[in-house]
Amino acid sequence: MNEALTDPILLAFIGGLLMSTYFMFTGPLNTTKLLISSLGFAGVGIISSTYTYIIHNKMVVQGTTSFCSSEGIVQCGSVIGDPNWNNLFGIPWGIFGIASFSLLIFLSLSLYLDRHAKWAENYLNYSWFASLAGLPFVMLLVGIELTQVEGAPHICPFCTVAHISLIGYVIAIYYLKKNKDTGKWIDQE
Amino acid sequence: MARRRKSLAPKGRDDDVRMIAGFAIGSILTAIMILVVIIAPPATIGPSEGELAPDFSSDAYSGASWENFRLSDTFDYEWDEGEQGEWILIQFIDTDCPYCWNEGETMSNLYAQWSSDVEFITVAVELSISGHDSNRQEIEAFRDKTNYGTGENDGDGCNSGRNNCIDRPGTVHEWDYVEATSGMMKDWEISGTPFLAILKPDGYVAWNQYENNGESIEDAMQRVVGGSQ
Repeated sequence: MNEALTDPILLAFIGGLLMSTYFMFTGPLNTTKLLISSLGFAGVGIISSTYTYIIHNKMVVQGTTSFCSSEGIVQCGSVIGDPNWNNLFGIPWGIFGIASFSLLIFLSLSLYLDRHAKWAENYLNYSWFASLAGLPFVMLLVGIELTQVEGAPHICPFCTVAHISLIGYVIAIYYLKKNKDTGKWIDQE
Repeated sequence: MARRRKSLAPKGRDDDVRMIAGFAIGSILTAIMILVVIIAPPATIGPSEGELAPDFSSDAYSGASWENFRLSDTFDYEWDEGEQGEWILIQFIDTDCPYCWNEGETMSNLYAQWSSDVEFITVAVELSISGHDSNRQEIEAFRDKTNYGTGENDGDGCNSGRNNCIDRPGTVHEWDYVEATSGMMKDWEISGTPFLAILKPDGYVAWNQYENNGESIEDAMQRVVGGSQ
């Protein structure tokens, strides 16, 4: 088995994603659970983005890192270490991930703390559109991993965790919007 | 007596929870920043002296074939100041630029003197100037001093088409010629060619031509590389 896939930190991230998914889909899709699930996805997203940023810095300064494998198809070295593709306008992708998930956490946390506020519907819409806006970037980055980086195709596992986090967040917000539209915004006890 | 009807619509909290959410995310970001600075502080990357040289990956011509070349593969990350190590002289040229044409001889002389201590790299860019169209054959001919162009000032060949590449001053250049990719000139903040920089063995910029007006590359090599051996 590829050693990158048995990394304990990667397994912890996968555990976080599974917990967020499990929380969303067990029992009725009530608003509280969906908000907690969205926070879970965004939380895993921001931590995995931070991790990729740390790997990026290590690769730039030391040329290598013990934080992720540089061999095989599933690895970070050739993806996060590729100077042509590991940044956007000179800013590492990890920074974009941290900034984006910060915004999503802020929106979901505000909704979780007061879902009946006057601004709640607007914030739900902001969460929806902000997370949807991230999906083209996920597709772009997956395309880069598979076709453009040195020795492609490669899959960067920690980048993939961040991508799945965003997709999970979009699904959670989709069901929240559905609850709002169908009058199920208030949890039924 | 009429009873007041209780509103069924739930009311939001009296306090604005967005402030709490803002503080929470601010705390998370502060923790992330501290963590990153402790575990892997970001390097200052740029072409200025003291900065880590901008990395690039592209195809390079070694005299036999074009193969992938990555600048950071030449870095010795374990190198410490004062130790022996292989320094890097990086030159940016345009095969059609007259100053680069003339610098061919300087580079040959530098290579003859320093090749045992210094890795030479030439990056061939294409300036957005009329008559500066280049291609791989021209880069190969410029490096190898082989027949390319007519030797007439007809736009065909090196030096803006003024010369056949076989007539380039200096000897055959025995080092890698890297084909520039988009963004490389911007990363290196290059406004014109030729441009030279000396990198320490660990990839940090030791000398930048733009920051040392008046100092020749020969003097710089002697001062920066020669003095450290």
